[in-house]
Amino acid sequence: MHKFIHSNFGRLTFFIGIGIFLFLLGNRVDELRVYQGATLAMYVVAISSLILLTGYSGQVSLGHGALLAIGGYSAALARNHLSAPVWICFAIAIVVAALAGAVLGTAAARLSGPYLAGTTLALAVGLPSIANQFGILGGEQGLLFDVGFPPMSLGQEFTQYKWYFWIASLAALISLWWLQNILRSRYGRTWRAVRGNEVAAELAGIHAGKSKTLAFTISSGLAGLAGALLAMTISTVSPSAFPLSLSFALLTGAVLSGVTTLAGVMIGALTLVVTPEIADAISNRFANSENVTTNLPGLLVSALLILVVLLVPNGPVEQMRTVRHRKRASTHK
Amino acid sequence: MYQFINTVLIGITSGAIYSLMAIALVLVWRSTRVVNFAQAGQALVSTYIGYAVIQSFHSFWLALLIAMLAGAVVSALVDALFMRTLFKRAAQGPIAGVAPIIATLGLLGLIRGVLGLVVGNKDMSIRPPVSNIGYTISGHTLAFSPLKLLIVSSVLFLMLILSLVFQHSNVGLALRASAYAPEIARLAGVRVDGIRTFGWALAGAAGAAAGMLQTPDGNAGLSPDSLEFSLLLVFGFIAAVIGGLESLIGAVVGGLLLGLVLAFVLTYISGSLVFITAFVVLIVVLLVRPNGLIGTRRVRRA
Amino acid sequence: MIGINRRLLVASAVLATSGLVISTVPAQAFSPRAEVGVTATSIKLGVTIPMTGAASPGYNKIPSAMKAYFDYVNANGGVNGRKITLVVKDDQYVPTLAVAKTNELILRDKVFALLGPLGTANIKAVAASVNPARRGIPVLFVNTGYSGFAIKKTYPTTFSLFPSYIMEAKVMAQYIKETFPDKKIGLLYQDDDFGVDALAGFKQAGLTFAVKVPYASGSQGVSGVPATWIQKLSTAGAEVVVLFGVTSATAAALGTAAVMKYGPKWILGSVGGDATTIKALGVPVGVLYGAIGASYLPAPTDTTDDYIKLFQEINAKYNNNAVFDNNVLVGMNGAFVAVQAIAAAGAKPTRKALIAAIEKKGSTFFGAGLAPLNYSATNHGGYNGYWFGTYSPTGEMKPNGGAYTVYTTDSGTGAVVKSTYKRPAMPANGLPIK
Repeated sequence: MHKFIHSNFGRLTFFIGIGIFLFLLGNRVDELRVYQGATLAMYVVAISSLILLTGYSGQVSLGHGALLAIGGYSAALARNHLSAPVWICFAIAIVVAALAGAVLGTAAARLSGPYLAGTTLALAVGLPSIANQFGILGGEQGLLFDVGFPPMSLGQEFTQYKWYFWIASLAALISLWWLQNILRSRYGRTWRAVRGNEVAAELAGIHAGKSKTLAFTISSGLAGLAGALLAMTISTVSPSAFPLSLSFALLTGAVLSGVTTLAGVMIGALTLVVTPEIADAISNRFANSENVTTNLPGLLVSALLILVVLLVPNGPVEQMRTVRHRKRASTHK
Repeated sequence: MYQFINTVLIGITSGAIYSLMAIALVLVWRSTRVVNFAQAGQALVSTYIGYAVIQSFHSFWLALLIAMLAGAVVSALVDALFMRTLFKRAAQGPIAGVAPIIATLGLLGLIRGVLGLVVGNKDMSIRPPVSNIGYTISGHTLAFSPLKLLIVSSVLFLMLILSLVFQHSNVGLALRASAYAPEIARLAGVRVDGIRTFGWALAGAAGAAAGMLQTPDGNAGLSPDSLEFSLLLVFGFIAAVIGGLESLIGAVVGGLLLGLVLAFVLTYISGSLVFITAFVVLIVVLLVRPNGLIGTRRVRRA
Repeated sequence: MIGINRRLLVASAVLATSGLVISTVPAQAFSPRAEVGVTATSIKLGVTIPMTGAASPGYNKIPSAMKAYFDYVNANGGVNGRKITLVVKDDQYVPTLAVAKTNELILRDKVFALLGPLGTANIKAVAASVNPARRGIPVLFVNTGYSGFAIKKTYPTTFSLFPSYIMEAKVMAQYIKETFPDKKIGLLYQDDDFGVDALAGFKQAGLTFAVKVPYASGSQGVSGVPATWIQKLSTAGAEVVVLFGVTSATAAALGTAAVMKYGPKWILGSVGGDATTIKALGVPVGVLYGAIGASYLPAPTDTTDDYIKLFQEINAKYNNNAVFDNNVLVGMNGAFVAVQAIAAAGAKPTRKALIAAIEKKGSTFFGAGLAPLNYSATNHGGYNGYWFGTYSPTGEMKPNGGAYTVYTTDSGTGAVVKSTYKRPAMPANGLPIK
């Protein structure tokens, strides 16, 4: 049994299993939840791309929103100007963002921590303003991105948001499965070696720069996919859809998930989707002045963030593992 | 000709404001290897305190002094109560690179939320302490006024004082040692925690000065959601990175370079290019010198 | 540590999905004929608007002003016996949030209609993703001057209230050509659609500028940037400068011009010309003196106006006596017109009836606006004109020539004409309905 789960076939079966579960779930919940499910799947892709970059390759990006924007705009342009089928639009989003990531990653590989953080931050601030420089990008109001109605064969009752949910979930499952495989491959081991000790890795014959650039490229491709998914859920792309706060939110999601493991990615994504809603509910219930209702949600989210970083800095998943390891170690004594 | 001179003056004075924030960020970076995003929030708190002092005592200078003191205290508290715990818990692995960023971002949100609760989401303003009317030379008004002079000289003064303190006392050495090799520093008898907190306090005072000087100059309101303070943080950070994060002189050079390039691009090319220019300046500098203009070239952390 | 831990993955997946399921609100049971969001005693409306974040200052005053007017109406018996409530959600001016929060309003809070959402990109994203048109949900009186939202074919259930930016530019161009025929004209504009719409209007009206200075949205907050604008305008020798930007940009431009001793004749667009906000931002009020402004509403400081007078009374009683500026006025006026629309939808209001009522009777609705409302079966655009005024030494905008003279036009190629519209007087009880 154990062997089966850890074989390639076993993992594939596992992901297909989750897929079927999600499919069944999609029919049980109301439309708002289905919409949030699509957003959740988008966050899963975006956060896993950040986890790959930060947790596995040791590079920090404060500007992932910019890469999402590149993906979103590429998909919309492909759809509107080339009338490309939806899946081709997503493929184009991945390729264009990956190319941009390769260029950026080449520069990034030379930069250490804060310098990279500064560069990516400046990118996130600078890139969206380009939309107003070129007419084709649609200015402040942006471009429409319409993936079309769900196929008629799915029935009359099948809503648009359920269709988004299906597409996004499928994209997320495939990305995670593929990412799992890549992390187990030679490349994954190389990234961890470079992250662990760059000098030692170089001595062992690994080209650290190339390895980092590759990680940045793959991460960007995934971010591009997430951008296209984001564009799909709001049916448009515009500069204000990719604010600095999005980049920060994604980083937050990665930390809540635990940057060193993909297993917790759901936790981060779920927190990003649900927390504002819970905070809204709390502030509406207990607040009696507008001042409080306005400020409480942001305050609660920030407080949660600080608590997580202070109490479980490596994320809940790592924390549980550490606890279990400790237990095991003590029973073996 | 006057346009050229004015562009230079605009570049220098705006660069000076970025430099003040950059100095604050560099001080924290030097003492604890943290990019402190909460610096904008701390500056906001200090400036609000300064505002309250102006309301009661009608003296900008007293307000500046108290705001800087308050900034130092707030910053020291943030380090002592908050960052120390964080460093103990997230010292190793990839998380060590992002945890401080996330924590200080969270803190920024917290400060803004609390400020919003306390003072409300509305605009306040501070009147300039000295005239902000530009000097006139043979009928032409310069983009330089007593207030701008004050800002530029504050930056130079801060930089000089801090450089002197660092060079002619053991504090600078202890700061560096505490940041690079806390264990060894501790063995050598340095009170590492105290020294780090001292670095944070200095940064808090510098950030407060930036807030107090920018608010009357920008014709911009003081509010918990202030766009100006966010942008001050972003441009200050970019300036610090250009300068090399390690050096106070670098922070000032980075700020001035950023200010000058922006002023020239906006004046002679297009007013729309502010944000993208900042990115281009940064990436060009880092492509040539990956550790910034005045960054110390050392082997990357192995 | 390496790779996936399947139990945890299952655990997190289960956690995630149960989170989704648990909080699902059971579908409300409706009596068969009642419309969503309407009961015998209440009508629920919703709005997403930036309440926090960089774009929020000013705009975050609109919802409480709308609520204040509804509270006043509710205290006086409501509309057909129904009290109006307004659910406010903060979208931080981000389209992703606007869509998510609008979905909450429609699917969770079950609002009857949306009232007064703000931001062109946000409204566009909501229109495309949430698709209120397909769901038949009215989107009333959007707070933007983008001309597209008045087009029924594209946005069948959306109604705009403001005159469009194109109309404003056309009316302004005419005024400038008449008043300053031989002067050098400069333009400072936000380089997004807001300014670009205006450029189109100026071009159509045949007004040429000696110098045009664009600025990126948000860059007015970067130290040093406003100084570069003023320098360019003064170097080019512009004697009249049109400002087509947001209020914070107007404040930065005026303040910086004063310290650089540059004093052209300023003409402020309606969006960026709120004197109260400019004062709050620290610009000495004297700087505004002599500037020309445009508006479709009376000046918020004009207490001789019967609408302003009543709104100020309501503001004192129901809105914590907030500073009465253009944002408060816009909010109250939007609510004032909305009350008429809801009343016109009949004793048993439905969404369909609401839309039909505005199309049919909307042109007879009135409010503080000095131009007529132009709703019809083919047009979803509201006000269509502006008056011009000059700022007094105390920062109050006084109409040129002593009385409000309104010029109207359209978003197309139509001419600019002097309006003959007579605004109905404010009813004594402050209610536009019986």
